[in-house]
Amino acid sequence: MSKAVRERSIMSSFDMNKKSVMIAYGAMLALLLALAVTLLYPFGMTLFGSLKTKEEIFVFPPSYFPHHLEWGNYALGFKYVNLTRAFLNTLLLYAGNAFFALLIPGLAAFSLSQMKVPYRKTATLFFMSTLMIPSATYLIPNFLNLQSLGMLNSYWAFWLPAGANAFNILLLKSFMDGINKELFEAARIDGASELRCFVRMALPLSLPVFSTLLIFTFTATWNDWYWPSLVLSVKEKYPISSLVYYDIVTATMLTWNVKFSVLTAIMIPPLIFFIIFQKNIMHGLNLSGVKG
Amino acid sequence: MAGLASQSPVARKGEAGGRLSKSFRDYFWGVAFLVPAIAVFGLFLWTPIVKGVVYSFYSIDFVNGNHFIGWTNYVEALASSDLGIAVRNTLFYMFLGVLMGFWVPSVVAIAISELRRFQSGMRLIVYLPNIVPAVALYAMWMWLYDPLGPLNQLLSWFGIDRVDWLTNKHWATFSIVLAETWQGFGATALIYLAGIVGIPKDLYEAAEIDGAGVFRRIRHITLPGIRHLYLLLFIMQLIATSQGFQTQVALTGGGPNNATLTYMYQIINQAFTYMNYGRASAMGVMMFVVLTVLSAVLYRLQGRSPQA
Repeated sequence: MSKAVRERSIMSSFDMNKKSVMIAYGAMLALLLALAVTLLYPFGMTLFGSLKTKEEIFVFPPSYFPHHLEWGNYALGFKYVNLTRAFLNTLLLYAGNAFFALLIPGLAAFSLSQMKVPYRKTATLFFMSTLMIPSATYLIPNFLNLQSLGMLNSYWAFWLPAGANAFNILLLKSFMDGINKELFEAARIDGASELRCFVRMALPLSLPVFSTLLIFTFTATWNDWYWPSLVLSVKEKYPISSLVYYDIVTATMLTWNVKFSVLTAIMIPPLIFFIIFQKNIMHGLNLSGVKG
Repeated sequence: MAGLASQSPVARKGEAGGRLSKSFRDYFWGVAFLVPAIAVFGLFLWTPIVKGVVYSFYSIDFVNGNHFIGWTNYVEALASSDLGIAVRNTLFYMFLGVLMGFWVPSVVAIAISELRRFQSGMRLIVYLPNIVPAVALYAMWMWLYDPLGPLNQLLSWFGIDRVDWLTNKHWATFSIVLAETWQGFGATALIYLAGIVGIPKDLYEAAEIDGAGVFRRIRHITLPGIRHLYLLLFIMQLIATSQGFQTQVALTGGGPNNATLTYMYQIINQAFTYMNYGRASAMGVMMFVVLTVLSAVLYRLQGRSPQA
């Protein structure tokens, strides 16, 4: 924060003396404030709605804050979904997804960026062109493919394909391209194996990107609801999003205060995750943006 | 091979065996590191992609086996009246997405980059909706769009009649795009922001000394500085929205009166409702052709322009 204040940006402090700039800046601040309110409103609505009584939720015009806190909604909501099991399922899915989505693209990126590879262009094209192929083209065949591999209803259907992530290769490679090649040359001359170069040097040096990708993977896993509900046939295996969608969001007999309680509960873990890793993700986004 | 490899340190340069083993040794680890990626890309991306093309010429039947039917899937898909509806809906959805969503992130990013205080706080707030699981987003917006919900209440304060956000066919797509923009623009804004932060500050210093005002600095330094991101994110958005269906499934179920039945939604329906996998694959291939041509054209345009 303090660093951001000292560094100059588009405007200098000198610009602030001009009246037109001042007005535009003030308007911009007002718009940002309005934006912040718009972004925060639905969160408050969900949180406060989860604490309202059944009568209060149907009041018209709707109120924003609850009059008295009805914690019973949570007890009621948790009776409809087994959130603990779904949460553990999600964590298990995430652990595998993160492992494969980082390791396999990480190795490939290191290879393409810092090692001698024949047909480098062809290999790069083999990976990167998948970015241009819409998932619409392979969504259905992918399902049939997983079916013929006997992977339906198994988490391997998520873990292994998570490694086939061209975006991760792209991001990691563009970061590793920025690492000085002589660093690895020196290590190789000193007798370090390629694996050691990767684990002990490339990995720590690219930590910002890796941690960003960890977070992206988390968001993706936590968010994904449609595909798991296709691939997994039993609800016992559903991750949290799929379960909440089918048991809470589309449930017609649940009142909104109860729905909001479950929604609040599933928003909290990613929020905590994000607050912990906030610095990493911001840093990582900086890197990816600069490199383009 | 192993014997040659062990000899190679003493083998003279230019000797055939030495060169072969040298290239083997040089390439071994580089290739080894690529093998896992090649395997998963081959198995889980390229196989489905190729199978998609193959299946599009077959009638897929789990019981009696698949059989080749030529272009029938394509002909049937093109002849069906649903396709026109789906294409129209998808184009409208993409158009609204660009109109409402594409310019927002970069503007917000520039604004945030100029914040003297609370900049990190604002970054956090902007990114916050990205963290909400999509299913929570659906529920939130179902409530916001409720005929008696907060949005209509807001409108009534301004004396505007209430809007049937999700059940009026003129509003449904708009409502979906609004909800998605709300959730998605923050991440994009942060990518732009990173690009803006990466622009060397002395450029602004120099421009200011030369007498360029704030808006000219934005036009001639900031915007060109993030130009590469514009095209990239534009293409990414087109690809993403052209395949949108999940919000439609959740919020409107393709209705009202098929107004939000997108192309991708049709594919899903063909496959999992009608079990018509061949036709679903054919529709996927057609989409691939269209999108490839589109992105090729866009990249060509970028290649032609100076300082791409």
